[in-house]
Amino acid sequence: MAEVSLRNVTKAWGSFTAVRDQSLEIRDGEFMVLLGPSGCGKTTTMRMIAGLEEPTAGDILIGGQRVNDLPPRDRDIAMVFQSYGLYPHMTVEDNIGYPLKLRGIKGAERAAQVRAAAAKVELEALLHRRPKELSGGQRQRVALARAIVRRPTVFLMDEPLSNLDAKLRVSTRAEIKHLQHELGVTTVYVTHDQIEAMTLAHRVAVMQGGEIRQLDTPEVIYDRPADLFVAGFIGSPPMNLVQGQHADGRFTAAGGFHAVTGVARHSGPAVLGVRPEDVTVAPAGQGDLDASIYAVELTGDAVLVTVQAGDSRIIAKADRAWRAEIGSSVALRLDASRLHLFDAASTKRLQPE
Amino acid sequence: MQDRRLKYVLILPAALLVLGTTIWPLAVSLVTSFRDWRLTRSLTPGPFIGSEHYVTALTDDPDFLNALQVTASFVAIDVTLTVVCALGLALLLRRAGVLHSLTRAVLILPFAVSPALVGISFRFMFNAEMGVFTWLAGTLVPWLKGYVWLGDPVASLLVLVFSDAWRWVPYMTLVVLGGLSALPREPEEAARIDGASEWQVLRDVTLPALLPVLAVVAILKTVFALKMFDQVVTLTGGGPGQSTTTLAYLVYSIAFRWYDMGYASAVAWILTAMLVFLAVWYMKLILRKPGGA
Repeated sequence: MAEVSLRNVTKAWGSFTAVRDQSLEIRDGEFMVLLGPSGCGKTTTMRMIAGLEEPTAGDILIGGQRVNDLPPRDRDIAMVFQSYGLYPHMTVEDNIGYPLKLRGIKGAERAAQVRAAAAKVELEALLHRRPKELSGGQRQRVALARAIVRRPTVFLMDEPLSNLDAKLRVSTRAEIKHLQHELGVTTVYVTHDQIEAMTLAHRVAVMQGGEIRQLDTPEVIYDRPADLFVAGFIGSPPMNLVQGQHADGRFTAAGGFHAVTGVARHSGPAVLGVRPEDVTVAPAGQGDLDASIYAVELTGDAVLVTVQAGDSRIIAKADRAWRAEIGSSVALRLDASRLHLFDAASTKRLQPE
Repeated sequence: MQDRRLKYVLILPAALLVLGTTIWPLAVSLVTSFRDWRLTRSLTPGPFIGSEHYVTALTDDPDFLNALQVTASFVAIDVTLTVVCALGLALLLRRAGVLHSLTRAVLILPFAVSPALVGISFRFMFNAEMGVFTWLAGTLVPWLKGYVWLGDPVASLLVLVFSDAWRWVPYMTLVVLGGLSALPREPEEAARIDGASEWQVLRDVTLPALLPVLAVVAILKTVFALKMFDQVVTLTGGGPGQSTTTLAYLVYSIAFRWYDMGYASAVAWILTAMLVFLAVWYMKLILRKPGGA
């Protein structure tokens, strides 16, 4: 068990900077998710913690000890890879037992520990198979068992679910969450999938362009995004973002779109954000804004209604029984307590944290 | 119908060429190997004598047994040396970098040199009086000063191996490098994190994954080493004595120095049988479906 600290860490290859002067404190036993689009620096950050990449500048500490100069094998970490990273010529048993073998644990004791780890991920029946005889989900469970077999101080998981099919992803996600809770090992988890981040993390670090844009609990990231990037990246369908002007606590956009924000101290170009589930479509004349139906899409559990309000298109999430003709007039109600206002120039959130 | 016939017409020139330059000589030599035909006695092939030449070669010919032994030693040392050196160099050149890619480009050069020329250059380099290698070895190890490398049966075989390895190692290094670059990185990184030292990563993860490529390199090199001829002619002339007379050189000697065409054909066919066996094995290995390893 240990905390992980990154202090002013930079990683650059020539003129390309993958991670720019980032600091991050991961608490003991915490499930930290690094979330961001590809190329944001999240995997590089994890590989530096693992020791597979060397930081260009800054310090990395595990359990209070500076590990910059330690090779991966001396960092007491375990890692689960996107493509599993199993040893193809070894059986499942030998794969799981390899970290123990390297530590000189022999015979019956090793076999017992391997069986215990395999039992945790329900692999006991497959111990004598080779990786190529397993399904993707089974391979990833072998990788998990290999990671937990020797109680490391830190787990690193690099997109462990992205090679699995959608159904398996949901069940394996729950298994990972359960395992981490049971073992209480500090975990760093890299993903580009916001659902994985929201469901698994104690805290999420949203990254873009080599920088952490927001570091907080999933609730805060969703309810109070720190800037336009986080607001647009988290949520599906994404948050509606409307370009316009803000003055005296009132936001206006071209074509008559307007909303009351209650933010007194800002005036100038701004972006208003509202999540689809915070927009209500009401009969014409009974809302804050007049609009017309642009499209209606049934997703199964909800209806996504795209409406034209002034020059802006807004997506609203309605009950799955909701229906309307394309082109018909409606009114919109925006949940005033859940409006997000961002400065257009700095892209930062204007409301208090 | 015209279309169907066209494809045969188009491959006809190539087929005739192979038939005339490969299949026909092979067939003639096979027939000759069952006849008594010495050019010193007659310009036309003599009578059929069955498998007599084959029986003689395999049971009652010290020259053949010697050549077989020389070839076996040569192949064993040559193949081992080539595979080990190619693997070592490939591991060193695996990392990215300007110098690494430059070296990789230069590596192909020795392979572009004709093997006969390799033999001639090595004969000069191992010359007892003016050879650069003789001088170098004599400077480093005083008692080797002026040593006649090509006059010693064991040393001359080693020089022959050395000249062949010099020509082949760089090329095989490129082949192994290709195999290395096709390996997934993740298992090696996983092993490093699991606690393996670089040596353990190599032994437990990289080498097992590279085994199919190394097998291909070894078989391919064995085939070429079995045919060893050019450098024997230009470097050692099969000597001293018969210490570097390989099977291919023996066939040449029987045919074009002693003019016994029937017996030469039989010995050539014994060598061919070995090569065909290895070639079939090689084809099986490289044509095996991926994932069947």
